[in-house]
Amino acid sequence: MTDPTSPKRLGALGLRRRLGKVQIPVALGMTVVWMLLFDGFQLRPESLGLLLLGFLVSVAIMVVFPLPPIKPGFRLWPFQAVRMLVYIALKMFVASFQVTAQVIRPGTVRSSVIAVKLRTGSDLMLVSTAIVTSVIPGSVIVEVGQTERELFVHVLGADDDEGVRAAERDVLNLEERIVRALGTRADIAELEEALVSGGERV
Amino acid sequence: MSDEFVQVLDWIAMLCLLAGALLTLVAGIGLIRFPDLLSRMHTAAKPQVLGLLLVLVGLGIRLIPAETNVFNIGTLVLVGLFQVVTIPVAGHIAARVGYRSGRIRHDLLVKDALAERLAEKERTQEAERAE
Repeated sequence: MTDPTSPKRLGALGLRRRLGKVQIPVALGMTVVWMLLFDGFQLRPESLGLLLLGFLVSVAIMVVFPLPPIKPGFRLWPFQAVRMLVYIALKMFVASFQVTAQVIRPGTVRSSVIAVKLRTGSDLMLVSTAIVTSVIPGSVIVEVGQTERELFVHVLGADDDEGVRAAERDVLNLEERIVRALGTRADIAELEEALVSGGERV
Repeated sequence: MSDEFVQVLDWIAMLCLLAGALLTLVAGIGLIRFPDLLSRMHTAAKPQVLGLLLVLVGLGIRLIPAETNVFNIGTLVLVGLFQVVTIPVAGHIAARVGYRSGRIRHDLLVKDALAERLAEKERTQEAERAE
């Protein structure tokens, strides 16, 4: 078993192992970015070459800088994804106006830090929800409790119980939209189970 | 493309650019007006996201009739995408550091779930130490 392997052989083995770590979906995503950068979607004679080159560069990057795989993974549900995008865009518009009103109205603005317990355990869903919550005006993530799947959100202008509850509902709705658009079947099942059992509680 | 259509596009682009600029102005005013770090974070990161997206949309519309070689709609999409993905990271780090180093004003917070949680954690740790 412990036969001396030549350094050359080891190098080949290492390369093999690293090639095995290349995640095709991620490489494809990087290729899309590459194409956007070089205007590859405009049909030209060199588009195919760009596509190929982009893919090769992505694979090379992943061989040189291997990353751990995105563990639970995700799955795109096209119809729900469109719904999610529309929902986020609408929220952003409405919330922008609210924040603008708060900026212009005289007097100090009081806010709250609320804890929202998410219903799905996947890290990816937690991260997506956190990012979108941050992008929507009026809420900033202050702290993430990963083990308790809790987000601590600073909500601008939530100065009574009603505001706090509304903000909490907003984050939970957002989570539902995101999980339905990007979650795996397991994530969605988890969410639905929580929806059914939590329906009476909230 | 007909002339009228180009003109309509121009108007839409202009409105988008103006709205984006206005939102950025609001962000600037908010930055001066708000009293503490956490609420300033909102204005620093937020109306700007929508403002930037609107400016990008305006630019994109202007780019449709006049194609340049330097940059194209793909570049704009990338700018928007990476802005949206990276702004929360910076915001979160600033908010977290501000909170943990005590640079926030508790008198402006009506309800503070994180402080309650941290106090609770400290109590359990102390209880464990006492045993």
